[in-house]
Amino acid sequence: MTSEDACLEVFRDEFDYIFRTLQRLGTAPSQADDLVQEVFIALRRSWSEYDRQRPLRPYLFGIALRIVAARRRNRKEAPFLGDSEDVEPSVDEAAEGPLLRTMVLNALQRLPLARRAVFVMHDLDDVPVAEAARVLGMRPFTAYWRLQKARREFAVAIRRVIKEVDGG
Amino acid sequence: MIYPQNTFSPVVGAMLALERAIPVQPAAVRARALVRARAAVVAGAGSLAAPAARAIPRRWTGGLALACIACAGVGIAAYDLGARANLGVRVQPDMPAVFKLASSRERSPPVSPAVDSYIDAIADMPPVEVEARVAKATAGASPRWSSSTDAVRDELHLLKGARAAVAGEDYAAALFRLDEHARRFRAGRLTEEREALRIKALAGLGRTDEARHAAIAFRARFPHSVLVRPSRHIAESER
Repeated sequence: MTSEDACLEVFRDEFDYIFRTLQRLGTAPSQADDLVQEVFIALRRSWSEYDRQRPLRPYLFGIALRIVAARRRNRKEAPFLGDSEDVEPSVDEAAEGPLLRTMVLNALQRLPLARRAVFVMHDLDDVPVAEAARVLGMRPFTAYWRLQKARREFAVAIRRVIKEVDGG
Repeated sequence: MIYPQNTFSPVVGAMLALERAIPVQPAAVRARALVRARAAVVAGAGSLAAPAARAIPRRWTGGLALACIACAGVGIAAYDLGARANLGVRVQPDMPAVFKLASSRERSPPVSPAVDSYIDAIADMPPVEVEARVAKATAGASPRWSSSTDAVRDELHLLKGARAAVAGEDYAAALFRLDEHARRFRAGRLTEEREALRIKALAGLGRTDEARHAAIAFRARFPHSVLVRPSRHIAESER
């Protein structure tokens, strides 16, 4: 199997994860199509550097994060708050809890990107903090500190989102 | 090392547990992404996107930005002077949309000189006639000095616009772009996606018979396509 075939296979297998990760990092679904492609292209470029002994998803997360951060730096985009109406719901969202998922996404976007990244990796993707720190290029202590702060911020943010949804 | 404790309330914990499961994206979204990924592989990733991994040192960014702006300014001024001197182009703020398309400087493929010669003549024509003449003028234009990579990029550019038009339910505009793609890239590398979009555009315009015929032709031409299922769905739903 060539590296291109391997990349395509990874892309096919992990497409949903990449798509959702981009959304969690603040990408509007209308732009996710393009950014998913950028992730794929970056994956192709860096495939030879990927250590096959390491888990794949944190590696993909790192690529997605760099692309989202670069896009935000270049365009100063407003973060997506997860309430667009022109978005085709995913298969799962159509069946279960679209509002709850949207609320979580909305609350996530209120966290600074650096802390959100640690929070998403550890609390949603179940990546150990040490591995998250390695992927994000920071010391483990910094990752722990950011995770704690992100959790506090998320708790506040989700309370606000719930209040907004309830009309309070 | 001690892990920080998660102290969320049961409600928030349940919401996070729901979000932990990765939602499955619709088959159409997945198929579209895979088609684009394959096209990127064919084209060579190097020409399609800038690398995101390495950041330029900040101390250079200001200088680079100034240099880019200066170069762009000089380029635009030179182009303006050349265009005005050689072609007599008069840029009017209220030009018809089609005219703007024909004279757009952002258009990546080289525009046929025949199109330029029409510019003055068609300024006052109704949009439909302008569209027909521009289409006729560009029919024979080939990307003479484009490499195959540039051609694929141009194909992607055209189809991206067509897809956006379909998403915005502007099916006529989508069909126009698809026809343009068909003229310029009759046997292009993204023919499969073009024909799939054509089915959607025809169905959206209410041209059900044409949509059905296009879907049948698509299945015959691309029997193993991942887009076969959507095309079949469209064809059957229009019956």
